[in-house]
Amino acid sequence: MNIYHNATAQWLAYGVFFVLLAVVPMFVDDSFLLNQFATYGVFGLLALSISLCWGFGGILNLGQGIPFGLGAYGMAMTMQMQSQDASNPIPPFMLNNSLDHLPWFWEPFRHTALGIILALVVPTLFCAIFGGLMFRARVSGPFFAIMTLAMLSAWYTLILDVQPYTNGANGITPPGALKFGDYAIDPYSPVAYWSVLALLAVATVGGRLMTRSRFGLVVQAVRGDAERVRFLGYNVAGYETTIYTIAGFIAAVAGCCWVALTQYVSPAQLDTTFSLSMVIWAGIGGRLSLIGAIIGAFLIQGAQSYLGDTFLNTWLLVLGGFFILVVRFLPKGLAGLLETILGRFPLPQRGNSNGNSAQRLYPQPGE
Amino acid sequence: MGFLEIKQLCKSFDTTPVINDFSIEIVELTLCCLVGPNGAGKTTTMDLITGRQKPTSGQILFCEDDITGLDEHVIARRGIGRKFQVPAVFRDLTVRQNLEVAYSRSTNPLKNIFRFSDPGFVQKLEQVVAQAGLSERLNVEAGILSHGETQWLEIGMVLMQDPRLLLLDEPVAGMTEAEIEKTVAIFKELKKTNTLVVVEHDMAFVREIADVVTVMHMGSLLAQGPISEIEANARVREVYLGEAEA
Repeated sequence: MNIYHNATAQWLAYGVFFVLLAVVPMFVDDSFLLNQFATYGVFGLLALSISLCWGFGGILNLGQGIPFGLGAYGMAMTMQMQSQDASNPIPPFMLNNSLDHLPWFWEPFRHTALGIILALVVPTLFCAIFGGLMFRARVSGPFFAIMTLAMLSAWYTLILDVQPYTNGANGITPPGALKFGDYAIDPYSPVAYWSVLALLAVATVGGRLMTRSRFGLVVQAVRGDAERVRFLGYNVAGYETTIYTIAGFIAAVAGCCWVALTQYVSPAQLDTTFSLSMVIWAGIGGRLSLIGAIIGAFLIQGAQSYLGDTFLNTWLLVLGGFFILVVRFLPKGLAGLLETILGRFPLPQRGNSNGNSAQRLYPQPGE
Repeated sequence: MGFLEIKQLCKSFDTTPVINDFSIEIVELTLCCLVGPNGAGKTTTMDLITGRQKPTSGQILFCEDDITGLDEHVIARRGIGRKFQVPAVFRDLTVRQNLEVAYSRSTNPLKNIFRFSDPGFVQKLEQVVAQAGLSERLNVEAGILSHGETQWLEIGMVLMQDPRLLLLDEPVAGMTEAEIEKTVAIFKELKKTNTLVVVEHDMAFVREIADVVTVMHMGSLLAQGPISEIEANARVREVYLGEAEA
């Protein structure tokens, strides 16, 4: 019995992981550094969503930047409108682009709550419709990955092109922090850090429960053999759409957090490179392990922040080379490496529900 | 009225007819063996019954309901279970998880997110595991099972669905003598409570288990009847049993 597969040990690891992250603000005085760590939480959310969609669902999604970017734009619009008032009703960039009135689709973002709801609902709905159309037509595997990539480029171009409404390549930079009533969330405060961490923890625990539910089991079966699952009476497209949409929702949450932390969004958030790096985080950390994918995001983004300056333009080459090594030698990522190492120290087999010692004769997964 | 009725079924791929005016009736609680040379259209017939392919023309009635051209999962929910020619199990899930997926009483994805166990699953699991003889392999990944065990696992998965009609495509292909014997015992037990259609090339196996044998040739019905009649049929001997069995 490999302790890696022990459910209690896994929950314990999750607990320790989040407690360790929660005490970080006690030891970090530098508020800029804390803000940077909080953005790692956003990357963690994205890696988690990829792990659910790709690792558990087997749906390679190269366009996770779509729900992330749409959520980020929704939040940026909400925060931008918070700083507009009666004397100054239109965001300045619109005036510069010779718009004299607020476009209709900006109107709902005057209300903070409605704006945030839209920032989450629109990307989620988009995933449900796009995913539904694709999966009902049984588009899967590399074909679906290409479709997500194409869709991502389409959104990128669209947002870039409608400059009067989105400020094009310059993006939206809300001047103030996100306010709920009179309370502003200072993006450099521990409160912001803990808020993102709390969302990450909730999403991780929720994701983990989901993978252990009947839904999660069927989704893993679909990953193995979608055709077979149909003949067991399951509507495969429904399952694929659901897991893809849930991943999209998590990415939308990440997009909202991103803007709340950085007060900035631009088409760069919908850039293909960024969406590809999400897949690389999950791949390196271990797409089959939620926490592995999150740690993968921390490691890669951390390395990029600190080593990226040293390597400058060659950083992408370093990252790509590292990714190739992982794909070749550690297909299950760093989490898979841990699984192998722990498998060398098997726990004594306890009497299980079958009370069957004959099981020991057969190799267990990961042993 | 039959339990499963196939009426004037036709299926062409482009212009090549594969199933040509094929009609049969399957009686409830019998075991019907579907035999015929390669390319006779046996697997295609199963594909058409289970919705994997849509017929060009013709009708399939199950319990007097028209199921022609419905989606796979809809037909499966009506009570038709299928085992594939190439054993199709979920290799990276354990045997127990495979059977759990197959226990498809609740199929709504949104409801299943909040469902962690099914009432009645453990009971059904024990029954099926005993029938298929998998009790010692429950926590093993399906990918490392032997070929025979994989076949039994897939039969077990079909049983978990509690189907009214079981379609089994080459269930003993690649099995050893001992494994075939065990499978014969499983099938004899099964046909007391279920209706089965079995595609099989192994005539010794067919002789052991079949109530009725249906012979297909070039996508049409060639002969139907008890095994003794079929084996005496001159045309069947000519096209199928031919050199091998004469």
